[in-house]
Amino acid sequence: MIIEICDSAAIPEGEIRRFEPEGFAPIAVARHEGRLYVFPDRCPHADESLAEGWLEDGRVVCGVHFAEFELDTGKVHNPPVGCPNLSFFRCEDRDGKVFATLTGGPEYV
Amino acid sequence: MCDTGCAGNAGRPNMAPVYPKAGRYPDYARLVDRNRAQVDRRVFVDEGVYQAELQQIFARSWLFLAHESQIPNPGDFIRTSMGEDDVIVVRQRDRTVRAFLNSCPHRGNRVCMVDAGSKARGFICNYHGWSFGIDGGLRGTDGKVYEKDETFEKAQIGLTPVAQVDSYKGLIFGTFDPNAPSLLEFFGPFTFYLDIMLDNDEGGTEFIGGAIKSEIDCNWKFPAENFVGDILHAFWTHQSGAQAILGGGVDLGKRYDELAFQASVYGHGIETNLDKVGNTRTLGYPELVDYVFDLSERARDRLGDLRSRAIGAISSCTIFPNFSFLPGQNTFRVWHPRGPGKIELVVWTLVNKNAPDHIKELYRKGVMMTFSPGGVFEMDDGENWEYSTRVNQGFVTRQQPLHYALGLQSADLDRDLPGHIHKGSLNDANQRLFYTRWAEFMEHDNWTDLQNGETAPPQKTASAAE
Ligand code: FES
Ligand code: FES
Ligand SMILES: [Fe+2]
Repeated sequence: MIIEICDSAAIPEGEIRRFEPEGFAPIAVARHEGRLYVFPDRCPHADESLAEGWLEDGRVVCGVHFAEFELDTGKVHNPPVGCPNLSFFRCEDRDGKVFATLTGGPEYV
Repeated sequence: MCDTGCAGNAGRPNMAPVYPKAGRYPDYARLVDRNRAQVDRRVFVDEGVYQAELQQIFARSWLFLAHESQIPNPGDFIRTSMGEDDVIVVRQRDRTVRAFLNSCPHRGNRVCMVDAGSKARGFICNYHGWSFGIDGGLRGTDGKVYEKDETFEKAQIGLTPVAQVDSYKGLIFGTFDPNAPSLLEFFGPFTFYLDIMLDNDEGGTEFIGGAIKSEIDCNWKFPAENFVGDILHAFWTHQSGAQAILGGGVDLGKRYDELAFQASVYGHGIETNLDKVGNTRTLGYPELVDYVFDLSERARDRLGDLRSRAIGAISSCTIFPNFSFLPGQNTFRVWHPRGPGKIELVVWTLVNKNAPDHIKELYRKGVMMTFSPGGVFEMDDGENWEYSTRVNQGFVTRQQPLHYALGLQSADLDRDLPGHIHKGSLNDANQRLFYTRWAEFMEHDNWTDLQNGETAPPQKTASAAE
């Protein structure tokens, strides 16, 4: 099931925003070079918020222990021990709105 | 911890920073005898005195932290000490500078292990992984654990900030005392003398070439008093070093009697000649001497005749309590206390930003050869300070008086300069005022008394007495 998350304009270039859609765990929405990315707002390392981190050189950086995840592949860099890759939800930027498929969980891309 | 019962209602922690209160130590203050110009040797070895110094002096004074040029960009940081307290000094995203105790509020572990770095993202504690932003705030811990604990209040936890941080012409200082007067009030009119080094050229100053650290087994006050006004020792201690570098002995110049003086405000002191290049010559590079002659001419407009002649002159300075420098040789240093009988010495070289690169390079090398752990002059001094400290382990020895009475009648009331002025630089006057300031810190628990005692600049004392 695809659900509407927010206005597309709510996600400026280079920013990450947190949303709490009803019935789902909090998610993070980021924009890099125009493109949107939607992922759980929970760092694969120790569950801290990724929306409180930042984007840097095409990666999401966790502000807590600085794990870095490639936006395209989710591949982790600078991982604290045992930190897996990041997975993303399918999403669409359509008619000025952000939509994402949250059911079934994120997928590793 | 479990006063209210450990069954789930235990009192919540109060993680607000604690800034210690000053006390009063009149017995220690009396160890400095102003009437006899004597200092009791216990100030150099007694553990009780030392602990009182940490509380009364180092937890209250403005202490040197860093030069602005060491941390130009957001996230740039250096680790230093304030007394024995380990601190991190970090440039913030808004370009201001803040400083924090380098100790995790969880179990106290150090959160920053390295001496310096650039563009830090934050500081992660090695023990349980608590993570702090460059603003000192707790960013996160381990969400898997703490998120489930509903009483955990992340927002009120962080590294303890140094209460006040401010800078003066490139030099950054901090104090742990939220009630301390401003940095400018702490200096008083002594800034007049600081500008000799900090404002003699357009464009300001910078530190070059990193820091050099060493340890000396001496009490921190021996080097501090040496730099506050002890050119006397140069004629004996440094004579052979000077001979080696200059091919001649230490020479105070022809007009010494007429020109040299000591100035002191709130225990900060400078002793100086007005020979223009006496200190600079000891670095051993004729190009530097030419540079300073030239600079001295150009600086006349900014600083006036007297101060422009002091830029490279035979002179030395201490900012109370433990930050010192030598004009002319351009070495800046902090004498960090490490117990009554040990210091950690950190040394930097300061140059004018606008100086040509080859001049900067000569200063760097010159300071290495003279005032580094292997430098000709530093070696001379350290041994003296070590024995001046160590001998007082002797029970009988430490009962014996010390003589601080050179120049008792040398006050210069005619010269129109800020602070307490004494004639000649061969004089114990500034050292007496340094220890008087030390005694004021032991005696008083408040800044009103601290800023209006004997060491306060003279006209201020006069108006306070009216
Ligand atoms: S919680 Fe993100 S790196 Fe540790
Ligand atoms: S002591 Fe720092 S995280 Fe535990
Ligand atoms: Fe010396």
